[in-house]
Amino acid sequence: MSESVVDTVSHQTGETLVDVQDLKTYYEDGGLLGSDPVKAVDGVNFEIARGETFGLVGESGCGKTTLGRTLIQLETATSGAVSFDGTDITELSGGDLKEWRRNAQMVFQDPESSLNDRMTVGEIIREPLDVHEQGTARERREKVRTLLDQVGLMPEHYYRYPHQFSGGQRQRIGIARALALEPEFVVLDEPVSALDVSVQAQILNLLEELQEEFGLTYLFIAHDLSVVRHICDRVGVMYLGNLMEVGPTEQLFQSPENPYTRALLSAIPEPDPTVQVDRITLPGSPPSPRDPPEGCPFATRCPVRIRPEDIDASDAVWDRIREFRDVIRERSRAEQSVGERLKERLGFDTALADSEEIVEEEFDDVTLPPDVQEHVEQAATYLSDGDPDAARAYLREVFGSQCDTETPQYYDVDDRQMSFCHRHAQEHVSPGDELRQRGYDTHDG
Amino acid sequence: MMETEPTEDIDQPLRDRLKAHPGPALLWGAILCVLLLLEGPTYLDGLLGAIGAGLGLLPGAPGAEAFASASAYFGELPHLLSRELIPNRGYYDGSAWQGTFLGLEPKYAWLIRFLLVYAYVAVLLGWLWYGYVLFRRHYRAADWTPTDDVIDRLRSHYWGLFGLAVVVFFVTMAAFAPVIGPTTAEENIEGPYSYDMQYYNEDTETVETVTIGEANLGSASRGSGDSNVGVWSYDDFGRFHPVGTLVSGKDLFTFLAFGARLSLFIGLGSMAIAGFIATTLALVTAYYKGAADLIVVLTSDSVQAMPALLLVILATVVFQNHWISELYNGAMLFILLFALIRWPGLWRAIRGPALQVGEQEWVDAAKSYGQRPTVIMRKHMAPYILGYLLVYASLTLGGVIISVSALSFIGLGINAPTPEWGRAINIGQQYVASQSWHISLIPGLLITLVVTGFNALSDGIRDAIDPQSEGAEGGAAGAAAGGGGG
Ligand code: SF4
Repeated sequence: MSESVVDTVSHQTGETLVDVQDLKTYYEDGGLLGSDPVKAVDGVNFEIARGETFGLVGESGCGKTTLGRTLIQLETATSGAVSFDGTDITELSGGDLKEWRRNAQMVFQDPESSLNDRMTVGEIIREPLDVHEQGTARERREKVRTLLDQVGLMPEHYYRYPHQFSGGQRQRIGIARALALEPEFVVLDEPVSALDVSVQAQILNLLEELQEEFGLTYLFIAHDLSVVRHICDRVGVMYLGNLMEVGPTEQLFQSPENPYTRALLSAIPEPDPTVQVDRITLPGSPPSPRDPPEGCPFATRCPVRIRPEDIDASDAVWDRIREFRDVIRERSRAEQSVGERLKERLGFDTALADSEEIVEEEFDDVTLPPDVQEHVEQAATYLSDGDPDAARAYLREVFGSQCDTETPQYYDVDDRQMSFCHRHAQEHVSPGDELRQRGYDTHDG
Repeated sequence: MMETEPTEDIDQPLRDRLKAHPGPALLWGAILCVLLLLEGPTYLDGLLGAIGAGLGLLPGAPGAEAFASASAYFGELPHLLSRELIPNRGYYDGSAWQGTFLGLEPKYAWLIRFLLVYAYVAVLLGWLWYGYVLFRRHYRAADWTPTDDVIDRLRSHYWGLFGLAVVVFFVTMAAFAPVIGPTTAEENIEGPYSYDMQYYNEDTETVETVTIGEANLGSASRGSGDSNVGVWSYDDFGRFHPVGTLVSGKDLFTFLAFGARLSLFIGLGSMAIAGFIATTLALVTAYYKGAADLIVVLTSDSVQAMPALLLVILATVVFQNHWISELYNGAMLFILLFALIRWPGLWRAIRGPALQVGEQEWVDAAKSYGQRPTVIMRKHMAPYILGYLLVYASLTLGGVIISVSALSFIGLGINAPTPEWGRAINIGQQYVASQSWHISLIPGLLITLVVTGFNALSDGIRDAIDPQSEGAEGGAAGAAAGGGGG
């Protein structure tokens, strides 16, 4: 494992079609002016080669859909670049943008919501052609009929309304619409997740056939890992607006390197029930994308977070420390709310009363080493002084490590596989070894 | 079902489908021709008159004269629904009625004309419905559309149908006001001393001529003694009054018919403007959200915070001698005022549905292939909020009618002698407990009926476009239609 730089990957499939560089998409979520923006995509790098299917997986809320929407300019990038065939599309506007839009289309997640019920199927599929004024009216109708045929529907469905179709058929209509302008790149946003399992396979097969026939490049967004494994050439794993690991699908599924990927994959039920695999259950819930951790985005939940060398504590104690920091973290976020501030002003001492309680609750059944004890008490003092921010900063200072302070780099961990974690640096124990050391089962060597 | 139809038919435009199967369409067209022939002069009169009036507002009034005279020319041509064809005024010369339709009693002559008007409207509506059914059966390419369900649900919604019937009754009364009354506003109400009439004087046994004004003096309803012309009765001059007379002796039915015209004009006019403003703003705020939404919220809140009644009273005083209060006896001013006051309510009512439809993925899809925002709003969002707009506009319309009447009742509003329901209620209120009860009560009941009608219609539309609101699932057409698999 050597330190390496991004963007050195070469694809067997050929030249790069989409190149995403340090892309960030933040948005104000209708909150009060001046509140933190939601950092839905927070600095992402990857490439998609022409003709491949690139999967994007992650829990809901990790920013994968926003990323997909940014790639087809439904969302405006805050910074960074998306170069499509060499053009930075985040810079396009007006007529150029409209012209470019032919190249990139999207198939939406919910076939109930993606088709305008007041239009006939023909009108729906024809609209992109009308917008781009392709051919005569007759030619457009002809083209729609061809498309209907290509997605496995009948020409006489032209004058039907979406209401008259099942979910799978509606999704076929959505696919036909996305293909009407003959795009090179199609973002598939969980295209089968709303469908019956029996129908999912048909739609996936259709997508694969169409890809072959038209040489399409797909970005496949999903949270069903088995679907991704089935259809994608390469996969990127997202967590809290960051791409944690990227690699060829099979390789990544068989030997995940990044701690988050390992945790995510361990949640897939093992097909062979005799093999006992300990799931890595992640503690807590993902932090708010308005206030992501400073170093590694996964630091608050990572099972193999690097610990500072000067503190010697058992795994159990570290667990409690993590929980304690979570609570303080919540505290300091909540403190920003107007109500809390008002209460504080009015002298309702909310913090004092329960700071001892919190400490007791967290640590009452473990014996803390003296130095840890000292730090915890210090933090509790800050808390009871009504300053959870200081408590949070203090804890970060004494219990934090590289994981809390420095954004990791991408490390080449295998052929074309990159992981976003400090543990791949030479001076650290690798995530896999560390996991085993901390008592987790890992199914790789 | 369409499965059996050959593929080539899919591309046929409407024109070809008509050519292939012209029978029903021709019949439909023939009915239209008959209807037009019967009443053609009225339509031309109205159309040309409106154009002339419009031109008259322009500086120099270019061509207004020509249109006015053309309109007058057509106004004089014979047609089915006219006072000239079925006159109800005449006198009884001791042995027979002179001058009335077929020598019938004025009562029956009037009734025939009245019923004929409604029969004509019924046929007109039937023709429209027949056209829809024909189109649906023979010429429409789609064998089912979402609108079909809406219409089918409305058809079985009896409360809504009742509302529709009341509204049609009321609209017909307003539209045919000059024909439907036993007399006209011009002669009986606005300039009674400029017109003469003949009656049979039983004492002298001769036919005498008086001005209508003088006759009105003798037909007044004043609550006590002999001076009352009540519902369904004749006055001393042989004139028939279906719902009696006013205190001034003017015909109440004519007064009400023209009052309906005014109320409807103000109601529809203000709702059209307010609805347009509300829809535009709802679409823009739902599409752009953020700052646009905030600005409209603030504006509508400030409008709603104004005391509406005071504002209207103030405006009627301020604009008293302004040209705008001259237009249609001040009705134009009311239209603008009520549009201004009522749009925030409408906007709030349709804002929710607008925001909801703005969140739909088909809107994103349209953005993703570069559809223009205006088209997205019109095509992908507006159809989903228009139904709600109709619901709330017809509710609000009832409110506007009440407001105008209330204002006239307290003497603001529309000035005499222009007929307005609220004024009739005001005039007659001191006679409510007397034999002249009809003056106040009948307009009062009519207002109640009309407002209830609009509310019922609004209920009907709401349940038709949004069956869940009633708890009953519409069931739509089977999702299993079509055999594309997948
Ligand atoms: S950088 Fe640290 S916190 Fe992040 S995944 Fe690696 S070990 Fe875990």
